[in-house]
Parts: sequence; C-alpha cells; structure tokens
Amino acid sequence: MAYLLNRLLSVLLTLFLISVITFAVTNILPGDVAMMIMGTQSNPEALAGLRESLGLNDPLIVQYGRWIGGLLTGDWGRSLVFKEAIGPLIAQKAVASGVIVVMSMAIALACAIPLGVWAAINRDRWQDSTASTSALIGVSLPDFFWGIMLILLFARYLGWFPSSGFVHPADDFLGAIRHAFLPSLALGLGLMAHLTRMTRSTMIGILGQEFIRVARAKGLAEREVVWSYGLRNAIGPVITVAGLQVGYLFGSIIVVESLFNYTGMGWLTYQALLNRDIPLIQSTVFVIAAVVMLTNLFVDLLYMLIDPRIRMA
Amino acid sequence: MTPIVNIEKLRVTFGKGTDAAVKDVSFAINPGETVCVVGESGSGKSVTSLSLMRLVEFGGGTIVDGRMTLQRDDGPIDLAQADGDTMRDIRGDEIGMIFQEPMTSLNPVFTIERQLTDGLRVHRGMTGQAARERALELLRDVRIPEPERRLKQYPHELSGGMRQRVVIAIAMACEPRLLIADEPTTALDVTIQAEILALINRLKRETGMAVMFITHDMAVVAQIADRVVVMYRGDVVEEGPVADIFANPKADYTKALLAAVPRLGEMRGKAAPEPMRLVGDTSAPKPLTPQDHPEPLLEVKNLTTYFPVKGGPLRRHVANVHAVEDVTFTLNKGETLSLVGESGCGKSSCGRSILRLVEPTSGSVIVDRKDILAANHRDLRLLRRQMQMIFQDPFASLNPYMRLSAQVAEPLRNFGLASGSALQDRVAGLFDRVELPRDYMRRFPHELSGGQRQRIAIARALAVSPKLIIADEAVSALDVSVQAQVLNLMMELQADLGLSFLFISHDMAVVERISHHVAVMYLGRIVEIGPRAAIFENPQHSYTKSLMQAVPIADPAKRKLEGDLNFRPIPSPMHPLSYAPAQSLYDTVAAGHLVLRDIERTTDANP
Repeated sequence: MAYLLNRLLSVLLTLFLISVITFAVTNILPGDVAMMIMGTQSNPEALAGLRESLGLNDPLIVQYGRWIGGLLTGDWGRSLVFKEAIGPLIAQKAVASGVIVVMSMAIALACAIPLGVWAAINRDRWQDSTASTSALIGVSLPDFFWGIMLILLFARYLGWFPSSGFVHPADDFLGAIRHAFLPSLALGLGLMAHLTRMTRSTMIGILGQEFIRVARAKGLAEREVVWSYGLRNAIGPVITVAGLQVGYLFGSIIVVESLFNYTGMGWLTYQALLNRDIPLIQSTVFVIAAVVMLTNLFVDLLYMLIDPRIRMA
Repeated sequence: MTPIVNIEKLRVTFGKGTDAAVKDVSFAINPGETVCVVGESGSGKSVTSLSLMRLVEFGGGTIVDGRMTLQRDDGPIDLAQADGDTMRDIRGDEIGMIFQEPMTSLNPVFTIERQLTDGLRVHRGMTGQAARERALELLRDVRIPEPERRLKQYPHELSGGMRQRVVIAIAMACEPRLLIADEPTTALDVTIQAEILALINRLKRETGMAVMFITHDMAVVAQIADRVVVMYRGDVVEEGPVADIFANPKADYTKALLAAVPRLGEMRGKAAPEPMRLVGDTSAPKPLTPQDHPEPLLEVKNLTTYFPVKGGPLRRHVANVHAVEDVTFTLNKGETLSLVGESGCGKSSCGRSILRLVEPTSGSVIVDRKDILAANHRDLRLLRRQMQMIFQDPFASLNPYMRLSAQVAEPLRNFGLASGSALQDRVAGLFDRVELPRDYMRRFPHELSGGQRQRIAIARALAVSPKLIIADEAVSALDVSVQAQVLNLMMELQADLGLSFLFISHDMAVVERISHHVAVMYLGRIVEIGPRAAIFENPQHSYTKSLMQAVPIADPAKRKLEGDLNFRPIPSPMHPLSYAPAQSLYDTVAAGHLVLRDIERTTDANP
C-alpha cells in the first residue's frame, strides 16, 4: 500500500511539473494568442484591447492558475484554428489515437513475446539469429517506410485494408479496426523489435536460474518450464519497456497518422504546432504527457500483480 | 543386492575440442545407502549428478559414452539412452534432486504450495485438496513451523534455511528411491547446515531411499556418508566405506584432501598457530613462536555502526539496523584476532567500520596511537596505508581490464612510494613474496585460478607495507587444498613481516588453526572474546557453545543427530529510532577471557 501511495504521489507531482513546463514554454515562444487571433497586421490598439480582455496582461502565475483551473473544471478553452471547444475536440481525437496505440502495442507484444522466447530457447542457433536479424531490421527502418510498404502491399495490391481515414468505433466497430490496422501495424513493427530483444535477453537470464533447473528436476514438461516458470518471471521487464515505449509511440503517431491521413492526437498536435494554436498546443501536450504517466502507473500496478516481492515492499 | 543406480564408464563433454568434464566414471549406489561424491571444483562431481538426471544436456553437455542403469519397478533401464518422456517420468518421481542455492532454487513468483504440488500433479495426478494435504504433510516432515501459513507464502518471505527445507520437501514429494543432493548446505550457515544434514539423515532412515550427496567438504562427508567416492579432474580416484576413507586413505589425492582440512579440536594444547600440512610435505609443521610481550596495534573501543532504514512515502529515516553494537577489542602486533559468527552477525561491518569504508556511528578505533574515527580526509588516506583489506571474492576484487603488475603497483603509485624501475622491482619482489612466477605480471585476472587471484590480492595489500591486514572471508571461496596454501602463506608473512591480521570468518576450524585470539559475534555484539585456547577449550557463552556444536567434524565417529541440535533463529537487528541499546558488559572468566553478561533479552542466545 505504501508503494501504491508513493507512486500516486509521484505521478501527481510529475503532472504538476509537466503542466508548469508546458505553460512556461508556450509563453516563452514569440507571439501570443491575441496576435494569433488578429493577425500580425492588426491595429495595435485593438490588439491591446484583446490582450486585456483575454487576461494576457495578468501576471503569469495568475494566467497559469486560470489555465490549470480550467483544465480541472473541464473548460479547456477554444482552439484558434478549429474554432471549437478544445475539450470535445481532444476527446474525439484521443479515441482515434487510443485505438491505434492499443492495437499497435497488442500487435507488438503478441509477436515479440513468442519470438523472443523462441530466440532465447534456441540461443545461438539459426532461430536466434533469424529473430535477432529481423528485430534489427525492424529497429533500423523508420516507421514511415513501413507505412508506405504496408500501404503498397495491403491497400494497393491486395486491397484488404483501407489506406487512409478514420472511423469512430462507436459508429462502426469493425470498420474502425480495419481503418486502424495498417497504421497500427506500421507502429507495431518498430515496437516489436525492441520488445523481442528485451524478451530474449531477459528470458536467457531467467532460463539460466537455478529454479528452472529445479522445475526440470521435478519432471515438468519443457513447455511448462519455459512458458510458465520462465515467462512469468521474464514478463515484468518486458511490460516495463512496453510502458516506456508508449511515450515513444506518441512521437511516432505524428508521422504515421499524417501518412495514413488518420485524424488522431498526432495529427491534431501537428496541426496545432503548424498554426501556432497556443491553447491547443498546451492542452495536447499536457494530455499526451498525462497518458504516458498513467500508462506507466498502470504498468507498475501490473508488475505488482505479477511479482509478489514488489507487493510486499 | 542390486544397486539402485549403476554408473559404468560415464564420459561427458562440453562442446567440441574440450577436455571431457567426466572422463571414465563408474560407481554404484545401493538401496538405503548414502554415497558421498567428494572433490574440488572441476572434479566433475556435479556433472556426474546432472548426467544421472539427464539435466546436463540443458547446460550444453553431452553424454558421449557409458551406461547408467536405474532399477525401476518394471526392470532396469539405461538412463544414458532413455528418451525425453521417460526421463520426465523419472525426474521428480523416482529420482529427486536438491541444489546448492536455496535463495534461487525456488521460483519467486509462485507460492510455496504451487511449487510443492507441481510434482504431485505431474506424476500422481493429484490436485486440489489431496495435493494440499500431501504438501502439508511434506512441510511437517521437513519440520517447517506453521506449515498451513507457509503454503500461501512466496519464497522471499522465508529464510534461507526454510527455503532449503522447502526444496528438500519438493524433492521428497513423490517418495523417490534416490535423492541427489548437490552441495545442499554449502551456502548455509553452520547451524543451519547441521540441521539440514540431520534432516536428510532422518528422511533417509524413515523412507529407505538412497542418497547421492555431492560436496567438497570432508567434514560434511564424515557427518553423512556410508560410502565415499573421491573424484579428481573427471575421474574416480578412490572409493570405499567412509570409515576406511578417513582411517586409511589409499590415493595420494585423498590423503592430500584430508590433510588440507582443518579439524576442530586438533589444536588442543598448542600454544601458537600452526601451518597446515601440505601434500608431499612430510616435515612436521613449524609452530609460529608466540610473542613474549605483545604490543597493541589496533584498539577498538565501543565501536557502534548503524545503517539507517528508510520508509514511508517520503523515504524518511524510520529505523536502524544495529550492525555493530558496542564492540571493544585489542589486536596485538604480529598476532591474529579472528571475528567469527554467522551471516548477519556484524563481523564484516565491523571490519569495514575499522577502515571507515562504512562510517561508524560512534566509538573509537586507534591504530598505532592514532584515532581513525577522528582523522580528517587527508590523515585518513595516510592512515589507510597501514591498514589493507583482502576480500572474499578475488575475481570481483580485481579489475578484469588491468594487468596484474599494474594492479599490484597501484597502491604504490597511489601513495607515490615508488616509480620507474624501482616500482617494477618492488612489484616483482611482491610476486616472489606471494610465490607467483614473475611472468604472471603481464597476465590478466581471468588467466589465473582462484587461489592465484587471492595471492594477487594479498600482494596488492602488502605493497604499501601495512601493519594490519583485514581479511574478510579471504579463504572461504577457495578449494580446501588451495585454502590451506593461502593460509600457510598468510602465516608465513605474519612470521616474516610481523603483520597483524583481523581475520573475519564463519569457519570455526580455520579460525582455530590460525588465531591467537578469537572474538565470537552475535547480533552485532562480541559475546565472548579471549585467547584461542580459552574460547575453543572452555567456551562459556551459550551461543559460542551452540556454534561449536554445529561445526561438522571431519571424523565419521563424531556424528550429530537431529535431536542434539536445537538452535534458535537469530532475531532481527533492526530497531526503531527510539531503541536505546544497553552497554556491553562482560564477566572475566580468566585473564583476557571475557563473556558478555545477559543484559537484555535480544542478545540472549539460549537462556
């Protein structure tokens, strides 16, 4: 319990720091919201009036308080580019990105774990070098390369999946999956490579442990020794890395969502940055940071379920 | 009588082009018999046992020749030719196995119940309530307190001794006709070792199973064996009943092995430490001459070291581990004082506190009339020239990327004591001093054996001509024959250079052999201190007595039974911040022989 409390406290503290940094950075950037709204050629008096009415002349600490208060009460302000309330806008795009983040992670884990275990039990044989080489290729090539290849193969030649667009899962669940599949696969390939190597090296360490020998000495089948005794111990480090990669995923979705014209958080962040939509930048960055933090908190809780030693600590 | 297992001409290799780890091994194990396979590292004793279970293949080994005939209910079978399914039937059912490291033998993420019942499920089809009841019965058989609670626990919640009992229970689950025990007590404290040996003996008597017991320790052999197989570099060099092996060893190697084992009690009536008798050395050992008027070199007074324990969400200082509690002793010039005790008793922390490798909480440490605890950073550096340390693991304490000559020269460079060709001469002299050939100077640590590495560690410690050497379990990781050589070297250096040793060890027999004075530690305190003869021949404190009683003696006629042993678990040295420990007060038994007074419940071993 103390551990849980510790983690929650540190998440809250980190979120607070992130909010401060996001707010500070967007304020240091040249140009302000009033200038964005009225354009650079506008009347200085009108600009000053707008600044006053938007509260931009207040001390930074007051402006920060207003922003964070809004975030907490659900009033996230309006986007300058989309002329819409930011809250519902982000909510919709977050669903779109959520689908591909979850799917790409599921694809990556579902392939990486068996592949890594397979490489580990056949250590230093052809199976191992095959798995390691393909993992290396996966890491070396950028996501957009995989994206283009997948579009060519699955959309253009085979025609199995659509090459672009987003469908909301509430409207058409299967359609949503079909539209999200290719971007998820493109992201998943990059993730898979890291996770395969992580699974392999952790599993090799675990299989060398004495309790594995004890399990064999009991007469357990090799299948149970590897997949139950071995993997249960190796899975912790693998999901920890997977959790950290969620942060990396939000970097990659900017490219991949643009490539597949898939309107999610990545696409939204890109539009916000491109148009200097300061309120939207602040909110998207904060949301992404919060999601990454919460994912890692979730991974830690999962780790507690897997490993009794952490439960006690 | 048909043997349960008959091994004939077994040969095992690891990889192509390497020497066979087991060359030509033949011996048999009869029903109800304990056969000890004894040998030093690299003798092939573990490989033989793993071959019998056909587990050697998982480590990259191949059985290239030989037969291993196991008697089953439906007739004999050659294990060397058995297929995977047959072997899985045999493992855990007909042959059970226990291993060296109780801390890593159990899967950390499964409950004790799951691990105990795995074998029952696989071999007997037992699950649920039936399996749980059998698991409880097994835990009672191995005398684990509160068995019902243990079933739900995880390995990290159990002490090392209890974990080894669980591992034994796992191996016993399906009532095997043969139990293979591979160094099962090597990693355990001596009191727990005595209990585990007695437990294995009792289980063998009660179930009639045969035991194949692998060990490097002749004293353990004497405690448990019916018959002994001595192995050396992949071959059996001698085999026979345990009494014959100890009374009339035939092979030279067996003789050497026995000579190198210090036996508790063999120093009775001797005034000074004596070097070990080595192989081929027929001359009687020369005792070191005791000093008439010893001068104190190291005076430790009321030394206390606490380690803070942090807890809570803000990592506050919530408790202290009382590692060293009010310790006082004096070490004379040219003498050896040994600190003995079990793991966690504070002996290593005490050694480190003296060098200020950890910062003591209070007390004073005077070396050659200078107070180390009061010294500032610069003075401390100079004072450390007089005090050097040798650690347990010579591989970990040497830098794998540096040539040996550079490592021995480092302290000399550090203090600016020599340079250029003078430095090279000093280093060469040190290699001579520890009896290593000079061409080893250009080598790296991995090119040396364990004993040679420990010689390098000694040479490095000697480089700055210290007056005091703190040796923390310096010979514990070495094979007995190598241990004897290194101990002899240390005694010789003491005689020649007038060195003082603070010898930290858990091994009572070694301590008896080499010490002038002995201090027994328990829960951070010295419970008894005095001249070697007084401690070993007239122990007063109950803890000293039980420690003495637990030591296995290399004599098959002096066996211990489970009923003789009644050790109490050591309480935790962790206390809340408000805890005020009482002062250590001693009763004088004879001149220099002090025994801790029973001042409080926690320091009381056996009231």
